[in-house]
Amino acid sequence: MTDRAAFLATLRATPRGKNPGLPDRSSTPDAPTELRAGEDPIGRFQRETEATSASMSRVTRDTVGVAVVAALHAAGAQRVALTTDLGPHLEAVRSACWAAGLEVADYADVAPQRRQAAALDATVTGCLAAVAATGSIVTSAAAGRAGALIAPTHVCVVREDQLLPGLHALLSGDVLSAAGSLFALQSGPSRSADIEKTLILGVHGPGRVDVLFVELER
Amino acid sequence: MSTPTTDDSLGGTPLPIGWAAPAHQPSDDPLTEATLTVRMQEGLARPFQREAIANATDHTIVAMEQRFAGTAHDELREQGRKIRATAIANLPDYLEQWLAQADANGTTVHFAANDGEARQIVADICLEHDVSRVVKSKSMASEEVSLNSALENVGIDVVETDLGEFVVQAMGDRPSHVIAPILHRTRGEVREQFSKMAGEELPDDPAALTGFAREGLRHAFLTADAGISGGNFLVADTGEIVMVTNEGNGRLTTSLPRIHIALVGIEKLIPRRTDLAVLLPLLTGHGTGQLITTYVSVVAGPRRADEPDGPEQTHVVLLDSGRSGLLGGPFEEALHCIRCGACQNICPVYRQVGGHAYGWVYGGPIGAVLTPLFRGQKDGGELSHATTLCGACDDVCPVKIPLHDLLLGLRQRRVAEGCVGWGERATFAVWGQVWSRPLLYRASTAVARGSLRVLAKDGVVSRRLPGLSKWTAGRDLLLGRRR
Repeated sequence: MTDRAAFLATLRATPRGKNPGLPDRSSTPDAPTELRAGEDPIGRFQRETEATSASMSRVTRDTVGVAVVAALHAAGAQRVALTTDLGPHLEAVRSACWAAGLEVADYADVAPQRRQAAALDATVTGCLAAVAATGSIVTSAAAGRAGALIAPTHVCVVREDQLLPGLHALLSGDVLSAAGSLFALQSGPSRSADIEKTLILGVHGPGRVDVLFVELER
Repeated sequence: MSTPTTDDSLGGTPLPIGWAAPAHQPSDDPLTEATLTVRMQEGLARPFQREAIANATDHTIVAMEQRFAGTAHDELREQGRKIRATAIANLPDYLEQWLAQADANGTTVHFAANDGEARQIVADICLEHDVSRVVKSKSMASEEVSLNSALENVGIDVVETDLGEFVVQAMGDRPSHVIAPILHRTRGEVREQFSKMAGEELPDDPAALTGFAREGLRHAFLTADAGISGGNFLVADTGEIVMVTNEGNGRLTTSLPRIHIALVGIEKLIPRRTDLAVLLPLLTGHGTGQLITTYVSVVAGPRRADEPDGPEQTHVVLLDSGRSGLLGGPFEEALHCIRCGACQNICPVYRQVGGHAYGWVYGGPIGAVLTPLFRGQKDGGELSHATTLCGACDDVCPVKIPLHDLLLGLRQRRVAEGCVGWGERATFAVWGQVWSRPLLYRASTAVARGSLRVLAKDGVVSRRLPGLSKWTAGRDLLLGRRR
């Protein structure tokens, strides 16, 4: 087998091509994945989230638990796991689920047994951030690599102060330093159009994604 | 939480024994088994394929144009070009930077100079860690090296988890499009295959067919010891691997099994994580017309101590296999490709003959460039002629690869290397002499005009040009009106 030194030596021995230089890292590109000037981030986030076939409801700090239970009921979910990135909402969500008679576990307790994790009806997660221009939530290994896509239904709680305008702000900011061994942008339900280009939701990941957007108290 | 952990009551249904066709061996090579002409005739003989390609690709092209409307699209493409060109021009430096970060995040890195080494390395990792089943998410690099056969040959069960690739594996087929592997297959063919596997007639409904696949693949995910992925990008300043999928199989592949192995070509390096703000919208916008794919997963090594899930080990196998030989040379720009498939979608030749006609892993203009470069002129050289040189591929490429110039350069190289017969060379030499003299040029076009009128029937010259019957077999010449 080729070792590191020999592999690099082969590359080092090649002539260098033309070097045009990189675009400025600090400037936001004019791309569809960024907000337009003056655009309302929350309105755009809602529009793009719904365009992916996910739902988005606006809730307040006090109604998060109720809204989570309503989403889980609508999906017919009974076995539910919660991830730690629910942060300040974790306990409210847990007690609302208990009160509603759901079977609730922490994802960290379920995850070591893949089969248990796969038997979940739904997971309820928070996120590291959200991206308005793409309708994406950003999940991280710190809360679980597979937590947001192992079950048929995913309910995600997004706080208004987590919403970033576009892809560039996410990638150039320091929010990702808390991600751990993985971060992921997720935009709506799992989809495939491999069979005659017919769109199917829920291929491997969830077929149903409900975003609960917690507005700041004003 | 109730804990019903009895087998198979949870998480899918095992795939039936012997469900998959045996993997192609490296020696089993359509590129050398049939000539380009034969492969193209086979493609032309599939009317469904032509219609399917037209429907799918027209939709994608329109979606792409709508996606970038109102943005500085050309400026974004120019930024993409600069990022890719800089990455490739400084590949050794960016690779070392990536290696330092990958070492720091706990990734084990392996180096494969050629296809054989890549197969051996992956098989060795699996054998060393008692892997008996692997799940795979879509990887063109693994198609390049025929990875599946190497694993099956040492007794490892391989399951492709991308829906399209799963169908390909079950049928013993090959993917025909870089992002839509079964574009050439009908729903009826998929239903027939899945019904055989299920032992019962499945309904003619894509949702039901997908549901059947999901159950089998769920079971595979839950029982696999290793997950093998490709990578869309390697980020030099963070040591990360970026994977772009819509189904979610990429993340399950790299999160559920205890070992993750990524096989990635060295040209996938990009300098900085922020460069993704340019390259991701280009990749998804040109690939499918999507704003962003459903999942963009960015992996930085194995599970850390305080994380609830994830693999114990992350291995990255860096693949050279012909790439380093292009650095600094006239065809270096072929390495800028980000595998969106847009040039395939727009190419008038691909749209008629389909992906299999290209004979190897990549179809369309980029396939006609990469195949002779990676596989050699002898096997792949003819492909530089499988193009009209219309330049549509240049115009649609998200990172502005001059595909048309590369194709022309490959044609010239082919002539210089003596791969073209004396008859053809003599013909073009005479033509060149005639058309570089105005009087002779005019005389020749007058003769041509006259003879076409004699040969034409109802305004069409079809299969009637003496000595050119092979060329006209697939083409009609329409006579223009006399002005």
